[in-house]
Amino acid sequence: MAVKLYKKPKLKDSIMFCGWPGIGNIGILAIDTLKGLLKAKEFAELESWEFFDPQKVSIDNGLLRYLEFPSNKFYFQRLKAGPERSRRDKDLIFFIGQQQPTEGRTRYAQGQKAYEMANLVLDVAEKFGCHRVYTSGAAVTQIHHVFKPRVWAVPNKQELIKDIKQYRNTILMSEIEGKGDQGVITGLNGLLLGVAKKRGLEAICLMGEIPYYLQAAPWPYPKASKSVLEVLAKILDVTLDLSTLDEFTQRIERSIDEFLESLYSTEAIPHEIRDEIERLRHAEPAGPGPITDEEQKKIMEHIDELFDQEGRKNEKYL
Amino acid sequence: MNFLTRKAAKMKNIFKFSEQPTFENPSLIVGWDKDAGQLSQKVIEYINKKIKSRSFCEVEPADFFSLAGVTIEKNMAQFPEVKFYCGQRNDLVVFQGGEPIFERYRFLNDISDLVQSYCKIKNLYTISGTISSIAHTDSRKILAVYNQQEFQNQLAGFGLEDMSWEGKPAISSFLLWVAKRKGIPGVSLWTQIPFYLAASEDFQAIKLTLSFLNQRFNLELDFKNLDEQIDEQNKKIEQLRQEDPETNRHIATLESGLSLSEEEQFELIKSVNEILETGD
Repeated sequence: MAVKLYKKPKLKDSIMFCGWPGIGNIGILAIDTLKGLLKAKEFAELESWEFFDPQKVSIDNGLLRYLEFPSNKFYFQRLKAGPERSRRDKDLIFFIGQQQPTEGRTRYAQGQKAYEMANLVLDVAEKFGCHRVYTSGAAVTQIHHVFKPRVWAVPNKQELIKDIKQYRNTILMSEIEGKGDQGVITGLNGLLLGVAKKRGLEAICLMGEIPYYLQAAPWPYPKASKSVLEVLAKILDVTLDLSTLDEFTQRIERSIDEFLESLYSTEAIPHEIRDEIERLRHAEPAGPGPITDEEQKKIMEHIDELFDQEGRKNEKYL
Repeated sequence: MNFLTRKAAKMKNIFKFSEQPTFENPSLIVGWDKDAGQLSQKVIEYINKKIKSRSFCEVEPADFFSLAGVTIEKNMAQFPEVKFYCGQRNDLVVFQGGEPIFERYRFLNDISDLVQSYCKIKNLYTISGTISSIAHTDSRKILAVYNQQEFQNQLAGFGLEDMSWEGKPAISSFLLWVAKRKGIPGVSLWTQIPFYLAASEDFQAIKLTLSFLNQRFNLELDFKNLDEQIDEQNKKIEQLRQEDPETNRHIATLESGLSLSEEEQFELIKSVNEILETGD
């Protein structure tokens, strides 16, 4: 197991942004979009075979050509200082992982493999002078998809809280009704914060809000990725053209509306659940949820079941 | 010492040796516990019997299999076993085991390390069945995948058919890839199994695979018993064809090179397996 370095960029006092797939692919979509908009260049890769099973084999005329594993790549970019930006250059590192190591037991990373990966990512961060790491994921909450998602921010050091308070549309756990400043960040987004803390590295997880009735949906949720990107743009003091993400959001919202409408019209979900979801449409999103935890649980059971109904097709393995 | 170095220092030994035989540049034959037409298990069973083999090393299962309980198959409690065998010939090592559920790369990497550094193998052969849309009366082919061009050239003339394919890899392909990274020449043999014999035993495919290994390693195998089993199985299916026009039609369709619908395939699997299980 190793990190393969293609280049050794001379980075100083850099910031790292990490994205993995997760609920609504909010984090990975935000970080990957940022990486693309800033035209970051690939410079390293984690050798993935100790973490993941191969996804594809290619055999040609009797010869094994390659096995394909989920990729885990590092990219870098230098944001030049300018009259409209900060007074000094900013070195950025991006890490995009196609999959979280699950060890076959859980949906999101946990255990030894996840710990190893978190350490490898931070080995690279430290090697290239990183002083702060941002991860990004989803905050599952009582919000309707018509509303602009907020960003929940969790730092790994007390002194970062004052930074977070300057970000727009961003809240701390203590500001969320009913959370009592506590919660859990599952998978690598959370674990990386912990491992960074152990190493003395600053880290912040930014989580875009997603309606709980969409948490098992097969679609991404770009609306929340955009909220995260707006915060990241502020942090980096850059202007980002997010029009592609806006178009994507519109397409996804049409699909969500059609999906919910089909559930309502075919009575695939009971009337009371429909009413509960629709109540959220007219609720104040920043306030406490208009439905109870018990009602939320009931809705999720029904909707998750509907998303899970597509069975696995027979596959041939060679 | 970085994170990786610390981890390497802590790696544990997964092998338990009962004896330490010596080998002379052997070939490794790899079989897995569950396979279409029971091909892998039966081929390994024949070879082990022929070379009067005994297990000399086993892999501790805890890191690679779920030990939350035991599975029950054919009324019996099962437990994952992964063993290396040696026999009267010091040019052959046999490996047989269940496919790991966890840590598949580490499992394959450690096994390859052992056979390379301890057994000093010169090459490896994996044995598997591949489910095919052919009739049991058709001749089977052994499809082959190599990890080195030179090894492919060496085995030209043995009647193996080169395959081209892209898709999800099986454990044998993963092993072949791990071996390639270590410079161990290897071939995966995929013998065709008619889909309606996949759940039982395909003696014809077993014989074909053993014939190749017999020729390759001069095993001097006696196929009398297998020939009898092939005859007996063919007779049972022939009788079923005479008694059941639908089964006959399905098999005739396959014999003419055409394919069956999903429903027809299911019916054929059901009727053939019933007759092979009950023997009536």
